Amino acid sequence: MFGKEFFVNRYRVLGWEFRDVTPRQAIRVNSMIVKGFDLLERLSSLGVRLEEIPFARGGYWVVHSKFSVGATVEYLLGYYSIQEAAAQIPVTLFTDLKGKTVLDACAAPGGKTVQLADLMGNTGVIVALDINKQRLKALQNHLERCHVKNTVVYRLDARKASKLSLKFDRILLDVPCSGNFATDKHWFERRTLADVKRNAKLQREILAEAAKLLKEDGEIVYATCSLEPEENELNIDWAVKNLSLETVEIECYGEEAPTEVFGKRLDDSVKNCRRIWPSEKTQGFFVCKLKRRGG
Amino acid sequence: MAELIEDFARLFGAKLSLDRTLIFRKGDSFFLLSRNLKKLVERVEDWLFAGLYLGKIKGGIFLPSFPLLFMIAEQAKNRVVIDDKAAWLFICGRDIFKEGLVKVYGSKNRGAYTLVFNRRGECLGFGKIIKDLDKAKSGVVIKNVLDVGDFLRRERTQISEF
Repeated sequence: MFGKEFFVNRYRVLGWEFRDVTPRQAIRVNSMIVKGFDLLERLSSLGVRLEEIPFARGGYWVVHSKFSVGATVEYLLGYYSIQEAAAQIPVTLFTDLKGKTVLDACAAPGGKTVQLADLMGNTGVIVALDINKQRLKALQNHLERCHVKNTVVYRLDARKASKLSLKFDRILLDVPCSGNFATDKHWFERRTLADVKRNAKLQREILAEAAKLLKEDGEIVYATCSLEPEENELNIDWAVKNLSLETVEIECYGEEAPTEVFGKRLDDSVKNCRRIWPSEKTQGFFVCKLKRRGG
Repeated sequence: MAELIEDFARLFGAKLSLDRTLIFRKGDSFFLLSRNLKKLVERVEDWLFAGLYLGKIKGGIFLPSFPLLFMIAEQAKNRVVIDDKAAWLFICGRDIFKEGLVKVYGSKNRGAYTLVFNRRGECLGFGKIIKDLDKAKSGVVIKNVLDVGDFLRRERTQISEF
């Protein structure tokens, strides 16, 4: 069970007609060290044309640039990060981040960790985990470049996060996933349903661990850049049935997630999740907010 | 630990006074923590990176982080401002020519260290003066020791390591 036709058929069943797209590059202003307006003026004077992303505060699509926006003085000084538009959504779904204790369970290469620090005003504590040594180096460089002060980094598998003996107010689960064709031109040749199922299992293990570490009134945001329901709706359905978690209504870009997937009826609350199909605006994405049932 | 960092700041004529109880060393690297982070890392020790990264010792020499340089930049007496072309070359790892200097503050003497700023007043790194700045007429006068382009060079190294 693999190949373009197989996956494209699945998307059709879920209500989306495949079309090949390349999402625009996007940046996010680091308001910890620069005012958005000043930065936009500077980039504009360099000939970089930007368009505001309506659903991500501080986010801009790069409409035109003659050079790489990853090689400007402004970038090197930490004034912005390169962060795809949909990837800017998950962190914005948390309420009241200032002063909180936050777990970023699969943090590298750190775009969302920096965004968390920014929205927290560099207050509170972020515990950032990852297991890949090279990706952890990238995370540390990102934290240094963007002047993040409130983060501690551990090389630890998110499935073993209870080793830290900590409880968290907010948990970001930007879990490892199968990705999607919009950001990987060879996606259909590389991926099989078996890969998807393997990732889904790993994601459930991470979700289960996160549920143990969440404070009573805490919030989890779960995100993938996968289009496959096994990694998205089916995992959330499993979580609400097995982990004493419930979904929370969110207002964000994307469409209501389906509650019937390939003939299987899911918990009604799965509709609170958002599914984002790839377009020129964003890559494919899925996002969901969870809290303790009755919390 | 704090002495090492404060001594480094003094190379530029800056007087930093850091809260010694909040400076932590991990391997060869130094970090400035908040009180919250301090409590956490004392409890869960196996961390890699925490708080504001200050720099590391490499080959017996202290290499500052950019956040530390920016802290020093607020007080540094030794500083040069360079023109746009020199600034671009500097962040590409090149040395500074006399012709690129716009303004010099503090020490002009060979052997001194100086922070390097662009015309916007942003610190781009630091260098070592290799010719007396008031005597040299042309040519390389400041040797690049560290510049913000280092982030790109690190990214490239890491990408090739993946």
